[in-house]
Amino acid sequence: MTRWLDVEVGNDDIEINTLPSNLALVDLHNDNEYKLLIGDLGKGEEGPKLKVFRGAMQLLDLPLPDLPLGVVGFYASDTVPRIPPVVAVAFSSCIYIYKNMKLFYKYYLPSIDLSTSESEIWKQIMDPQNHNEEVIPILTENLKAVPHKVLSAESRNFLSMTLDQQLEYVEQMTEMPSRKIPEVACITTLKMHSIERQSVSCLVVGTEDGEVIVLDPHTFHQLSIAKLCAIKRTPYQMVTTGLYNVDYRITVATREKSVCVLKRDWSEGRLLFATDEHIVALEVMPTDHSVLVICCDNTLSCYSKKGKRQWSLSLEHRPVALTLVPVVALGVTLAAVALASGHVHLYDAKARRDTMFVKDAASVMKFGQLGQEEHVFITITKSGNLMVKILKRTADFNAHAASVESALTPGAGTKPWFIPKKSKLFLEQSVRERENPRAMHQKFQQELNSLRLVCARSLLQAHERADNCVAAGALNAVRLAAEVEGLGPVFRVTLILENTSPDKAAIGLAILFHVPPANYKVSNPYIKVPLLPPNAKLQFPTKVEEIFEDANPDVFFRTVTGEGGERSLVKILLVKEGRTSPVLAATVLMPPTDPMMLPYEKMQQGFENMALEAMEA
Amino acid sequence: MGLLDKLSVWLGRGRTEVTVLVLGLDNSGKSTLLDALRPPEQRVHHSQPTVGQQQDHFQSSGVSFSAWDVSGAPRHRALWERHYRRAHAVIFVVDSADHLRLVVAREELELMLAHPDMFGRRLPLLVFANKCDANHALAPMQVAAALGLERITDKPWHICASNALSGAGLTDGIAWLARQIRDLHIQHH
Repeated sequence: MTRWLDVEVGNDDIEINTLPSNLALVDLHNDNEYKLLIGDLGKGEEGPKLKVFRGAMQLLDLPLPDLPLGVVGFYASDTVPRIPPVVAVAFSSCIYIYKNMKLFYKYYLPSIDLSTSESEIWKQIMDPQNHNEEVIPILTENLKAVPHKVLSAESRNFLSMTLDQQLEYVEQMTEMPSRKIPEVACITTLKMHSIERQSVSCLVVGTEDGEVIVLDPHTFHQLSIAKLCAIKRTPYQMVTTGLYNVDYRITVATREKSVCVLKRDWSEGRLLFATDEHIVALEVMPTDHSVLVICCDNTLSCYSKKGKRQWSLSLEHRPVALTLVPVVALGVTLAAVALASGHVHLYDAKARRDTMFVKDAASVMKFGQLGQEEHVFITITKSGNLMVKILKRTADFNAHAASVESALTPGAGTKPWFIPKKSKLFLEQSVRERENPRAMHQKFQQELNSLRLVCARSLLQAHERADNCVAAGALNAVRLAAEVEGLGPVFRVTLILENTSPDKAAIGLAILFHVPPANYKVSNPYIKVPLLPPNAKLQFPTKVEEIFEDANPDVFFRTVTGEGGERSLVKILLVKEGRTSPVLAATVLMPPTDPMMLPYEKMQQGFENMALEAMEA
Repeated sequence: MGLLDKLSVWLGRGRTEVTVLVLGLDNSGKSTLLDALRPPEQRVHHSQPTVGQQQDHFQSSGVSFSAWDVSGAPRHRALWERHYRRAHAVIFVVDSADHLRLVVAREELELMLAHPDMFGRRLPLLVFANKCDANHALAPMQVAAALGLERITDKPWHICASNALSGAGLTDGIAWLARQIRDLHIQHH
C-alpha cells in the first residue's frame, strides 16, 4: 500500500534544470493557494528563467539576467489587509526583489576596499611605464600570490587573460579598480517577531567572503553583519530557526567540509562540527535543532545542536538531495533522502519509514503546501521532469504500520534496554530458587524431557499412519470440492480438500490444474499439499483468468446466466507422489465473464473483427 | 401494487424527508451550493469554511431533502463516516478547476464507497463538477474519468457541471436525484 497519490503532470513541455535552493512555495496572491516558484538555470539555448507553477500547470515564465542562486518568498510588511509576499531572487552580484512578479528593487551588497597588496599591484599595472611584455608577467605573478579568495572580480578576470589580452586591457583601462563588490553565495529568510505564517521576515544573505548579512525587508539596509567563522569559510546552504527579534540560530553548511552556527548577538559564528567528506545538503530539525547532513561518503548523519554526532547511517548509493517532510497531523518530521539510484527513502530518525522510487532519479526535492493541499512532495528529476505526489490523509508512519522497515543494525549508541521493575512475584520466585536450586532444576529438566518424548512419539504415530494410507492405495477418505467466485475475467477458484478419516493423515498430495491454455490462465497450476491431518480441511484459493486471445465476438455476446460451453471446462486433478494416475479428479464448469467486466480494448477488437467479418460476407 | 398505492407513496414521500449527505474537499463549494438551492430571500452568503457540519432543507420535484453539509477540511474528513448510515443519497462536490487535488477527491470518494456503511448500498450518487465557469475548469466527463466514476457498479451515479455562485446546473442535478429516490422507493414497495 503506497502512502502517496500521484498527480498527473503533463511532462512534455516541462524541462527544468535547477538546484534545491531555487525552489520556493509561496502564497503569491494571498488566497491560500500556494504557487511553486522555480529558478530555472536554463539549458543550452534557453536562458535562465523564473517559472511560476499553479499545481502542475505553468502560469508564468520570467527571463532572468543571470543564473539564479536562490529563490525565496516572504512577507515584507504586516499592514492589514495583507500585501502579497515579495519574491527575492539572488544572483552572484545582486538580489532582485519582485512585487506582484514585477521587478521592484535591485539590491547590491555594500562594496569593500581592495586589500593593500592587491591595490599596490594594480597601481603598478596602471603605470604606463610598465605596459610592456617584461613587466606585466611579473605583476601577474605577484597578483597570483595574493590569496585567490580575497581577489576582486577584476583581478580574477585579469588573471584568466592571455598576455596579449592583458596588454590590450591595461591600455584601455581608465580607472583603477578600487572597490570590490562582494558576491552572494546563498540566501534564505528569517521570521522577525512571530512564527505566524504571514508574519514579516527578513532576508539573510551569505556571501562568498564568508559573511552573513541580515537585511531589513522594507528598507534593505543591513540589520546585522557577522563573519561566519574565525577561519575563512564559504557558506553554501543556510537554515534559520527562531525569530530575529527574540532568538535565532543560523546553521550554515560550508564548502570546507564543516557546519557553522551563528546566533543572535554574536559578532562571529562558530564552527559546529566538521565532516570527513563534502556536505551535499543540510537540514535542521525544528523540534530539537539537531542537524542532519548527507555527505559525499554516502552517509546520513545526525548531530546534536551542540555539534556532537548522535548517529550515522551509511546509504547504499550516493545521496543527491535532502528535505524535511513535516506531517503535522501525525506529529512527525521525516527526512527524505534521494539517492542516485532513484530511491527516495523517508527516515524518522534512523528508522526507515517509507521508500519511493523515481524513474530517472530525483535531483531536487521539496515538501510543503502547494495549491490548497498541505502535504505535497515535489520532485524534479535529473532529466528535468516535474513530479508531484500528495500524501494520503490516511497515511501512517508509525513503527507498527505495515511495510515499515524496522531500524537497521542495533549497533553502538542505541538506547539501553528497557528492563521492567522487579515484581513481588518475581522476588518470591527468586527466593524459592535460591533455597532449593538443585531440586527445581532437576524437576524442570525432567518435565522438559518428557514433553520432548511426547512430541516425538505423536509425530512418529502420525507419520506411520500416513504411510499406511499410502500403502492401502485407496484415498477414499479424501474429498475434493471447488468453489468459483467472481465476475471475471479473473475468477477465484477455491479448492477445499478434506480428510474425513478419523485417524489417518495424508501426505505427498498435490493438485494439478488442467485447462485449455488458449482460454484460461491459472496463476498457480501446481499446488503442493502439505500434510493433511485427520478430520481437517485445507483451502487453496487460486486465480484463474479467462483470456481472450481470439477476441471472438460470439464470446462477448453469450448470455451471462448461461454456460460457457466446451471451452470453459477446467479439470482439477489430485495426484499423489509415486503414482502414475491421478487419485481424484474434479471438473469445474467456469461461468462466462460478465461482458461489463471485459477490458475495453478487447471489446473494441472484438467489434472490429465482427465488422470485418460482416464486410467479407 | 396498484396505481393508487404508488400515488400514496409519492405523496407520502413528499411529506417525509430524505437525508442527503453533501461531501467534497474543502473549498469545493458545498455550502455555497446549498445556499444557491434556497429561496432567494433566505440566502446567506457564506465566505467562511464550514466547521463541523450544518443542516439545510430544500425541495425538488416533490421530494423534500434534508441536507447535511459536512466540513471538507482534511482533519474533519474522518467525521464523514458518522453520517453514512443515515444517508439516503450522496452529493459529492468537486472543484473542477483544482487539477492538483482531483486525485485527493478520488481517494476520498473511493474511501467513502468502500466504507462498510456504504458498500453495496444502492443509494444514488450525484457528482457536481463545480466552478465550471473558472479558467482551466475541466469538462464533467473529464472529471468523471479523473474520479474513476465508471468503475462504480453498485450505485447509480450522475455527474453534471455546476456553478454554485450563479446556480447554473444545480436544478438538473437535483432533479435527477429526486427521480432516482422516487424510483428506488417505488421498487421497495
